Amino acid sequence: MDEIRLEHLLSDVLRPVEPPERMSTRLQNRFAAISEAAASDLSDWADELTESEMKSLRDPGNWVRPVVAVAAGGLATGALVVFEVRRRGRQRSSRLLDRLR
Amino acid sequence: MSDVEPETSGTTDAPPETKAEVDRGFEQLYRDHLRDVYSYCYYRVGNHHDAEDLTEQTFLQAYRHYARARRESDGRPLRPWLIRIAHNLAANFYRDRSRKPQTALDNIEPPAAKHSTEAVVEGRDELRAVMEHIQELPEERREALVMRFALGMDNREIARAMGKSDGATKVLLHRAIKQLQERLEEAGHG
Repeated sequence: MDEIRLEHLLSDVLRPVEPPERMSTRLQNRFAAISEAAASDLSDWADELTESEMKSLRDPGNWVRPVVAVAAGGLATGALVVFEVRRRGRQRSSRLLDRLR
Repeated sequence: MSDVEPETSGTTDAPPETKAEVDRGFEQLYRDHLRDVYSYCYYRVGNHHDAEDLTEQTFLQAYRHYARARRESDGRPLRPWLIRIAHNLAANFYRDRSRKPQTALDNIEPPAAKHSTEAVVEGRDELRAVMEHIQELPEERREALVMRFALGMDNREIARAMGKSDGATKVLLHRAIKQLQERLEEAGHG
């Protein structure tokens, strides 16, 4: 069997297959539903976000946490600096003592 | 379309597309290539039920990444990308369900050119033999033949869909046809 004849046979055997009509309709409906749901979710989400953001900004109860967090962070950093300075000081004095001996 | 990736990492200077534009583009892609994707899936799984399932999954996945694919395609056709999605999903389909592809014989009809009853029977036998031998080819070769003959894809498109170079694809197709030819000759269909 020559190659050209085989290619003709392959074209006959491997024909494009038409998708069933019901599938096409189902898929299109599904895309439309996803798209609509997403659009409405997005707009609800945007509205809710703005309102909740405004509310939390206005509420003084929510100001305490950031202030405490910043203060705790500052204290921790200060403690680390003090610790490091003392460590270096101890190293320096022990080196001096070694030299004197 | 919350699943669609946001238009934030553009690779071109073009302004970002609106959601409506992306949706319209996808709808066109779907209309243009539904038959291609379905045909590919059908020849991969061998039955209409699973082919429908796989086609649906392919388009749903494509829908999620469409905006990015369109940006990154630089105007090249997206059919290879769609077929690649279907290819990956089909691979998972077999792995997850431990299935084997079935022979897609429902589709075979004798060539239109034959007229006499004898010729029709002979033609049908020949086509059946071709189909059976296609099923026995290594998966990659079988897929390349499906893309070429059922979908009418050229070498470049097949290469993109399979993640190969143009040269490697040309060799793959050549070997697939050669192997099929040899098997048919061995089976007395010379």
